[in-house]
Amino acid sequence: MELSTIKDAFDRVAKKQRLSSSKAQEVIDQVGREIEQALTKMHSVHDSTSSSDQKSILMELNSKLNEMGPLKQLEGSQKELNVALSKYAKLLEKSFNPDISKAYRNVDFDTHTVNQIIAGHFYRRGLFDLGDCFINESGESEATYLKSPFLEMYQILEAMKCRNLEPALNWATTNCEKLMQNRSSLELKLHRLQFVEILQKGTRADALTYARTYLAPFASRHMAEIQKLMGCLLWAGRLDCSPYAEFLSPTHWEKLAEELTQQFCCLLGQSFESPLSVVIAAGVQGLPTLLKLANVMASKKQEWQAMKQLPVPVDLGSEFQFHSIFVCPVSRDQGSEENPPMLMPCGHVLCKQSIVKLSKSSTRTFKCPYCPLEATVAVCRQLYF
Amino acid sequence: MESLPNGDSTAVAAAATAASIPSSRLTHLAESLKLEHQFLRVPFEHFKKSMRANHRIVEKEMSAVISSVAEAADRDMSKEEAVHHLTSLVSRLQGLKRKLEEGNKTENLQAQRCRARLDHLESAGTESLSEWNSTRVKRILVDYMLRLSYYDTAIKLAESSNMQQDLVDIDVFHEARKVIDALQNKEVGPALAWCAENKSRLKKSKSIFEFQLRLQEFIELVRADNNLRAITYARKFLSSWGATHMKELQHVMATLAFRSNTECPKYKVLFEPRQWDYLVEQFKQEFCKLYGMTLEPLLNIYLQAGLSALKTPFCYEDDCTKEDPLSQESFRKLASSLPFSKQHHSKLVCYITKELMDTENPPLVLPNGYVYSTKALEEMAKKNNGKVTCPRTGLVCNYSELVKAFIS
Repeated sequence: MELSTIKDAFDRVAKKQRLSSSKAQEVIDQVGREIEQALTKMHSVHDSTSSSDQKSILMELNSKLNEMGPLKQLEGSQKELNVALSKYAKLLEKSFNPDISKAYRNVDFDTHTVNQIIAGHFYRRGLFDLGDCFINESGESEATYLKSPFLEMYQILEAMKCRNLEPALNWATTNCEKLMQNRSSLELKLHRLQFVEILQKGTRADALTYARTYLAPFASRHMAEIQKLMGCLLWAGRLDCSPYAEFLSPTHWEKLAEELTQQFCCLLGQSFESPLSVVIAAGVQGLPTLLKLANVMASKKQEWQAMKQLPVPVDLGSEFQFHSIFVCPVSRDQGSEENPPMLMPCGHVLCKQSIVKLSKSSTRTFKCPYCPLEATVAVCRQLYF
Repeated sequence: MESLPNGDSTAVAAAATAASIPSSRLTHLAESLKLEHQFLRVPFEHFKKSMRANHRIVEKEMSAVISSVAEAADRDMSKEEAVHHLTSLVSRLQGLKRKLEEGNKTENLQAQRCRARLDHLESAGTESLSEWNSTRVKRILVDYMLRLSYYDTAIKLAESSNMQQDLVDIDVFHEARKVIDALQNKEVGPALAWCAENKSRLKKSKSIFEFQLRLQEFIELVRADNNLRAITYARKFLSSWGATHMKELQHVMATLAFRSNTECPKYKVLFEPRQWDYLVEQFKQEFCKLYGMTLEPLLNIYLQAGLSALKTPFCYEDDCTKEDPLSQESFRKLASSLPFSKQHHSKLVCYITKELMDTENPPLVLPNGYVYSTKALEEMAKKNNGKVTCPRTGLVCNYSELVKAFIS
């Protein structure tokens, strides 16, 4: 699809429209002029008694108009415009997929669920007014439960934007155990940022007190970090001239805000990206393949509606790979609990059923389909991805 | 997958290298743009409609003026009469000129919108992809809001983040709103006016919407016990449809015999207020068809495609990663009647780093059968004196004990 061709075709349409419009103006002017000429002729006739003068002027006007054929002129330019219009429409149909709803399945697709998902999407993006307006209009009053957790998150983030770390620190301290479980050093990073702030704005003594209270607990696990921060004390108020100047960089704030969002969502059992955006993005990548499939299956509507698994793979980017999918190279079956992937001594992996089939009775040796090495079922190990 | 034809490929490729977009993304991008037919078609249809309407006005007025002159030439008029007649024609033409100018302004705005959308599609290859994608999500959501008549939300959403007004169809749906509001108030007036406005196109698509509106009006007359008026109405407005839709006509005409409080189920249903909801749905469908919109909201189409592409049996397990949308109950519910995705080749994800385990980052197997990526295990070994710990079972072993797995 070449956008430049389409743009050119549209420019032609616009041009024909302008031509048609100016033609119409021209024709109206012409007709107007003829009528006005007839009017002036009428006014110049002094003899008001004979009606034949008016009539002859009118008849002359009529024949002039007929000769001019204004309607025909209008039609002419309109025809050209219509040709350009239909060409553009055809080009659009050719360059784009004219009906993407062909891939839609008429199955139970509950509007309430979709509305709840949308409400959740707005709230997690911090669009609280929008979310409320939506819930109002759609009548999905139950969806308000999604609001409060994200409200808290945005309050913390808003405070951080104003360089106020208190809400963030409070949250981090309250959830320090879970954060540790997630192997996140968020609490330390927040304290570090606060320490640097105090160092820049307050006194050395304040910073020291802060360090003693809040940084000391982290000493055992993050000695190197603490040592660096202690070093900063020597440059209180002049940190930008110190070897530690990079601590002042605003990117720390941005990165920390992102990490806080990540951890917050994680603790809520939510994903970092809005799931709605992820599914739409996956849909954008998958729809072309599904449309091709729907086309091929156009005559088998029933099969299309009822299928349990797509018959063709849909290629998605690696960012959509959330699970390990093992496909046995021999049987093309997907790995599952009943049919797990098994590692052979040669390093190749087949699914259990394929191995059982190859060994014919699970006691004989069999040759790996990919290399000359032989193995028995017993030495094959189950893999866990 | 088709590759980009010659004309555009150099420009896009140049832009792509500048923005360092890998070629697989380019093909994905080109394919995703092909899904945007509705995006371009709606303003185009709106544009055509304005042009048609304006042209009709010009034709009508011009033809009236010409025939007025012809008719005057046939009559015998006094001078005053003739002058008066011609002067009125001149002012009529002036009025027409003004109308034409106004119409032109509207047409230009609409042409501008068509162009703006073409420009927007073009910008997908050059500007920040994540921004373009997030605009697309918003466009899809605005389309959903408009289809379900959540107009305030649609307007608010379009205004938030300064999305260009040209990219959404809010004003197209204004005319729909009038009709829908009237229908919900049990009035068919605006709907019938809409049918008249779009008569030729509705006829082309063999639409029976006008017929359905007339039938409903008939039923309302019967409901009010205005049987004589109902019959006159039927004679005037329903008889012409008899040729093609006799059965439906007869079915509804029979309501004359039953009254609005009939218990007979076949006819009771015709008197239910639900019939008006059905008319609203019919109108929405006709409206969307006329403007080249999909019959389903774009959101549903993309959701279904995405859910099916993401759906695996593993999504429904309890330990499904929260990053997978299908770990959420609402998404699981939506996907329940959709087909599972299919893979032809193994795609393995490291439990630790969430990265793909491929030939550049091959999977390594611990003595207990658990598998992680080389990158993750190498790093772990480096930090722990060559020892690795399985994060799921706690087993500790040496890096040297790990075995490579070859998975195609």
